[in-house]
Amino acid sequence: MRLITHNMLSCNIKGVTNGFPLRIEAGNVIEKEVDFNPDFIRHMFAKLEWKALVEGARSMGYAELPEDSPDAAVLESDESFLKKLHHALLELHLEEGALVCPETGRKFPVNKGIPNMLLHEDEV
Amino acid sequence: MKATLAPSSLTFTSLPYSSSFHSSSSSLLFRCPSSSASMTTTTRGNVAVAAAATSTEALRKGIAEFYNETSGLWEEIWGDHMHHGFYDPDSSVQLSDSGHREAQIRMIEESLRFSGVTTDEEEEKKIKKIVDVGCGIGGSSRYLASKFGAESIGITLSPVQAKRANDLAAAQSLAHKVSFQVADALEQPFEDGKFDLVWSMESGEHMPDKAKFVNELVRVVAPGGRIIIVTWCHRNLSEGEKALQPWEQNLLDRICKTFYLPAWCSTDDYVHLLQSHSLQDIKCADWSENVAPFWPAVIRTALTWKGLVSLLRSGMKSIKGALTMPLMIEGYKKGVIKFGIITCRKPL
Repeated sequence: MRLITHNMLSCNIKGVTNGFPLRIEAGNVIEKEVDFNPDFIRHMFAKLEWKALVEGARSMGYAELPEDSPDAAVLESDESFLKKLHHALLELHLEEGALVCPETGRKFPVNKGIPNMLLHEDEV
Repeated sequence: MKATLAPSSLTFTSLPYSSSFHSSSSSLLFRCPSSSASMTTTTRGNVAVAAAATSTEALRKGIAEFYNETSGLWEEIWGDHMHHGFYDPDSSVQLSDSGHREAQIRMIEESLRFSGVTTDEEEEKKIKKIVDVGCGIGGSSRYLASKFGAESIGITLSPVQAKRANDLAAAQSLAHKVSFQVADALEQPFEDGKFDLVWSMESGEHMPDKAKFVNELVRVVAPGGRIIIVTWCHRNLSEGEKALQPWEQNLLDRICKTFYLPAWCSTDDYVHLLQSHSLQDIKCADWSENVAPFWPAVIRTALTWKGLVSLLRSGMKSIKGALTMPLMIEGYKKGVIKFGIITCRKPL
């Protein structure tokens, strides 16, 4: 699971109002190189939940992203920033671990890079 | 005007389902033959609810296991799109394998066109996030993500499918645009209003609670976004008809067992469910004639030497599935089974 996906996932247990973002418990994180496509990164930036991304990256061992979401202008001028964003979003893979609901503490396992978000009967 | 809909639970039991609602005439554009079928709500006691819940678990498990077992076989013979091809009606030309693959791509394009997504470039550019509900091994996701330069996230009950879908994405250098997880379409792990395009290509037939399924689709679509549902249905009920004929129900029941399908509903039922939310531009069509060559083609491939060997190797679920295919043809021929598309748009 990469952070671009983590940025979209939330806990849907019945009654939970604060199910995003999921905390990451990193068991096994690997890095896989992906071709750098600056336009795609710029395209995605607008819809990112920045805090979730920064925290998630830190949980996976990457602390290079700024705490606050930068201005859109930075996207045009600063290629090194774009590369950091690219790395965080696309090149870090959580192979084994868990995603944890911030409200209930419920753990959703991640195995072989695939999160299992299925709820149990008593959670729906 | 909004149609009021009593909770319609078209659930996985062998009881004839029913729900009551008042469908007032609306100014919504919808082009399907309107049916004024009214159904009555069955009230469920606690025992029935518990039984339904357990059977939902069993259904979910059955679906996951079915696709865990059969996906590899399907992919080997038919490729990565696990849906019907779209053909010109009455096309009697026997197509090659590549002809059928093209038809499967055409199904995607025709669905996009019908819903209005591909009417103009401006519309297309707005699509940045797509959810593929019941994604199979990700054929649609990869196609749509490529086509629109968008991000697509797919959900399936089958871990085997999710893994295969991710592997195929990596192999096609699309891993940055598409991802797949194990999740339930009735409890989607997303916040509200996230997706510009909500795509359900032949997965609706697996949903035990159609109302809940539609609720989720409507919840996760972004304002201005579109929902596209392409699914197997039973024929619309006529005025005054409360249920299908027993022989029709019997035919569907036999198909349900091997394909892990809960109770079927009609295209009209989907339209009514969508109408109960404030959605625009609700449209539907009957594409049964456009998919007619599909099942005969699937059967032909199953009967080839390669097909038979692969079937035997795959296991009982695949074999039973294959033996059920003639029932699909019978269902279409007798007008019981319909191939429907239903689309709509969430207002801004």
